[in-house]
Amino acid sequence: MAHFDTEYQRLEASYSDSPPGEENLLVHVPEGSKSPWHHIENLDLFFQRVYNLHQKNGFTCMLLGEIFELVQLVFVVAFTVFLANCVDYDILFANKFVNHTDSSKVTLPDAFLPVDVCSARIRDNVFVIFILIISGVFWLHRLVKFIYNICCYWEIRSFYINALKMSMTDLPYFTWQEVQARIIEIQKEHQICIHKKELTELDIYHRILRFKNYMVAMVNKSLLPVRFRLPLLGDTVFYTRGLKYNFELIFFWGPGSLFENEWSLKPEYKRGGNRLELADRLSSRILWIGIANLLLCPVILIWQILYAFFSYTEVIKREPGSLGARCWSLYGRFYLRHFNELDHELMSRLSKGYKASSKYMNCFMSPLLTVVAKNVAFFAGSILAVLIALTIYDEDVLAVEHVLSSITLLGICITVCRSFIPDKHMVFCPEQLLKVILAHIHYMPDHWQGNAHRYETRDEFAQLFQYKAVFILEELLSPVITPFILIFCLRRKSLEIIDFFRNFTVDVVGVGDTCSFAQMDVRQHGHPAWMSAGKTEASIYQQAEDGKTELSLMHFAITNPHWQPPRESTHFISLLKEKVHREAAAGQQGIIAENPAFTSTHSLQSDSEPRSLIANLLMGPPSLASLHLGREGSINPVSIGVSEGASALRSLSPVSTSQHLRGSYPSARLPRPDHPAVVAGRAMTGSGTDARTISSGSSAWEGQLSSMVLSEYASTEMSIHALYMHEMHNQQSRGEVSRHTWHRQESDESSESVNEDMEAARTFPRSSTFPTTSHQAGAAQQSGSQRHYGRTSDPVSGSFRAQRTPRMPMGGWSEENQMSRHHDPVPEEGSEDELPPHIHKVT
Amino acid sequence: MCVDISYTIMNCRSEVLEVSVEGRQVDEAMLAVLHTILLHRSTGKFHYKKEGTYSIGTVGTQDVDCDFIDFTFVRVSSDELDRVIRKAVAEFKDALGNSGSDGMGQISLEFYQKKKSRWPFSDECIPWEVWSIKVNVVNLANEQERQICREKVGEKLGEKVINIVEVINRHDYLPKMPTQSEVDNVFDTSLKDVQPYLYKITYQITDSLGTSVSTTMRRLIKDTLAL
Repeated sequence: MAHFDTEYQRLEASYSDSPPGEENLLVHVPEGSKSPWHHIENLDLFFQRVYNLHQKNGFTCMLLGEIFELVQLVFVVAFTVFLANCVDYDILFANKFVNHTDSSKVTLPDAFLPVDVCSARIRDNVFVIFILIISGVFWLHRLVKFIYNICCYWEIRSFYINALKMSMTDLPYFTWQEVQARIIEIQKEHQICIHKKELTELDIYHRILRFKNYMVAMVNKSLLPVRFRLPLLGDTVFYTRGLKYNFELIFFWGPGSLFENEWSLKPEYKRGGNRLELADRLSSRILWIGIANLLLCPVILIWQILYAFFSYTEVIKREPGSLGARCWSLYGRFYLRHFNELDHELMSRLSKGYKASSKYMNCFMSPLLTVVAKNVAFFAGSILAVLIALTIYDEDVLAVEHVLSSITLLGICITVCRSFIPDKHMVFCPEQLLKVILAHIHYMPDHWQGNAHRYETRDEFAQLFQYKAVFILEELLSPVITPFILIFCLRRKSLEIIDFFRNFTVDVVGVGDTCSFAQMDVRQHGHPAWMSAGKTEASIYQQAEDGKTELSLMHFAITNPHWQPPRESTHFISLLKEKVHREAAAGQQGIIAENPAFTSTHSLQSDSEPRSLIANLLMGPPSLASLHLGREGSINPVSIGVSEGASALRSLSPVSTSQHLRGSYPSARLPRPDHPAVVAGRAMTGSGTDARTISSGSSAWEGQLSSMVLSEYASTEMSIHALYMHEMHNQQSRGEVSRHTWHRQESDESSESVNEDMEAARTFPRSSTFPTTSHQAGAAQQSGSQRHYGRTSDPVSGSFRAQRTPRMPMGGWSEENQMSRHHDPVPEEGSEDELPPHIHKVT
Repeated sequence: MCVDISYTIMNCRSEVLEVSVEGRQVDEAMLAVLHTILLHRSTGKFHYKKEGTYSIGTVGTQDVDCDFIDFTFVRVSSDELDRVIRKAVAEFKDALGNSGSDGMGQISLEFYQKKKSRWPFSDECIPWEVWSIKVNVVNLANEQERQICREKVGEKLGEKVINIVEVINRHDYLPKMPTQSEVDNVFDTSLKDVQPYLYKITYQITDSLGTSVSTTMRRLIKDTLAL
């Protein structure tokens, strides 16, 4: 065969065995990971840091704050050691004379010991060395943590700047809701979370507040041993930061804790099989941690004392009255906290309630003390006046021994006494004050209603709202008491704790294990006495106390208007809003039902006034400013500009305002649908979501201003809803009680009987004898009511004694089937087809 | 430093497959599953051009017949990749054999991406998808049972493959296509004929719930820092 010359040629082998030229045909452009923010590993930490950075007003503020904290630590230790070892107090007190050649004046440096003497004294003192070593280790730990944190937060800073497009200087002026909205926005682009296309507000809250929600739920179900019955002090609440730290250490992050990592419970705790063994393990862990606390107690105690001394002496010297001031106790903060409520939301709520609360507490001045205080103040005042007069006449008086100190002491004495003397112009109206407080704090045990004037109510409220001095004292005592609480009280609860975590943990796709209460699902955890009757399927063990599920749901829906709740919750919310609406319509027609006490206040103000008020409020910036001012005292804008003297009147008005707002808005809506007042009215009470989206689009509302305004209204709206829900709850309980007595035989439906018995139990403390059970506020009430069930001979309650068993530790787990059935569908995490098919079984 | 991840990972898809096979079928079954996943998680080599674009080389596939199972699977025709997988599977099988336990084990194929961090920290490996295959080894008495098992396992593996394809077909998160400088953070570029996403194969014998010592240590340190 002849050699052919052909066009066909052998191709060169190449690994990229694509035909030549294809590179030019099919060209791809890399999307590139230009942003480093896609797919973040630990979203919990990430969101927490984003939140913290926002709360601390940007990177620089935080950096400075942390640096100063470190410096402060060194200073506290160094200064104490110096004061203890290097000062010659004899010279300072002039017991010993210094022989100076040039002058007779004693100077401060004279009192210092020479360096070598000083260091020798320190070296000889084993105790001081010990303290120095301990604090050195502690400080180094803090330093390492600081450096680590700075590196992490630097990343968050660039996240803010590059991804969220917010500069650090502007950050303090953005609300958290705005930051959150941007995060949700960029999730679409960057995919921070890879499980789902879109994040919801609830996801972010769940991650930031994962452990807080558990704690709130545990306080709500009175699982944590924080209430004690003491022989002399009666019912007390002891919950300090140290105790809280230990709880968190045991449950959430300490070595061997129940949680495997930030987002998942260890698998063995999710199974009911070996609960007893796990409880044993937990109780031995608690024992060890308790013992460690006991051993470390001296160190912590010294630290607490030093710290308290240095942080509070200055304050006490500057304003001695601050010790007599009150603050929200740590227990109160957990009791009053909604599920899924961030720190700043809680704090602003509580701060709004502060004034009314302290006014309420001041109503209860003991007359005896007042008399004594008046007279002590008189005597102290006269001596002080003489001393001051003498000093003015000739300042050498000051040089006389103890004159200066007596002036100081007398001054303090008078200030303290004055705090016991009530304001002459104050009016005693506790019931209304308590309503105002309720509008802000949203939670209150039922038996306070109608008993506001009683000392018991005041004492219980004092558990939530304690003296600052008591707070400091408790913190100081905490290192000593904490180990005993851990060893003797918490250990006994270990089985309940194990059951709690197993029963109330749900695995949410893309979020991890969260507390099921935090889902705010009315069906699972609703309380029939709190407007979710008929909707809830929860047993008593599963019901959140004090209407926490319902109120939390409302609160979350109102603060996050863009959030799409699951179907049932939407139904609940819209139903409630509609009820408020109807109520408003009724109020408009003059049928003022709810509470007779309101009627008088309602009629005080003219009907037409609030309508124009709302319109005015939303018309222009001046009124916005006034609204802003009004925030500090009460929610009522009417009272702005009213002088301080009319405080009693003002304290009344929020209640009436809420009536007015409800009353005013339907009428505003009817005539001119496009009028801003309509928008406002709807934002206040009606369907908040759409109203706000509409309004934010309209020209009257622009940018930041609108979001500020909306958040203001959100809190007002929530106050109205909280008041309304409490009112409904009370009315319902009252109604149910009467029905209970009238138609006992007819109530054959078990859920109703639950209802009624609950109500009966709840109103039980209202009786004039005021039985001892009423001493236990809030969460403890449940136990009271259960005692009641135990006693009852009503045949209907048989069905529900069976339900009561879950309360017992054993029952908690016998119920597990039901629990798992409830928890399987996680409504807000999208449809089922989004769930990955986790397990494919072969055999 | 990439730590072995045996606990549940946040922000990462995780798929679990379970198979029960006879002792001699272990490696073929594992190979079938791992190769099937890798087939869908590999691309051709990237050839970057000057303008920041790239073209993708081709990838061949080839059928593999199993000896002990009535099953044929498709794998990327890359001998290098095959060698790596075979090595990992062989180790797993040995460990399973040596463990002397009831023959339970788990092999996981984890896809991750690297994230460069600044100085004090080492590079992070962040997994985005983890496939865990739980293996249960059964002992069979006679040849007839073996024959049945042979067919049954083949059928089950077929189902698994369909499952895998279903999962992969969903529009879930995948790392974005990298630029030339970042290609090593996303793809394993060490092989010369194929370019899978960065992956790691780990195994665990018996379901001994405990997390490994290194993870626990790492977590302890992290926890202390993050107090």
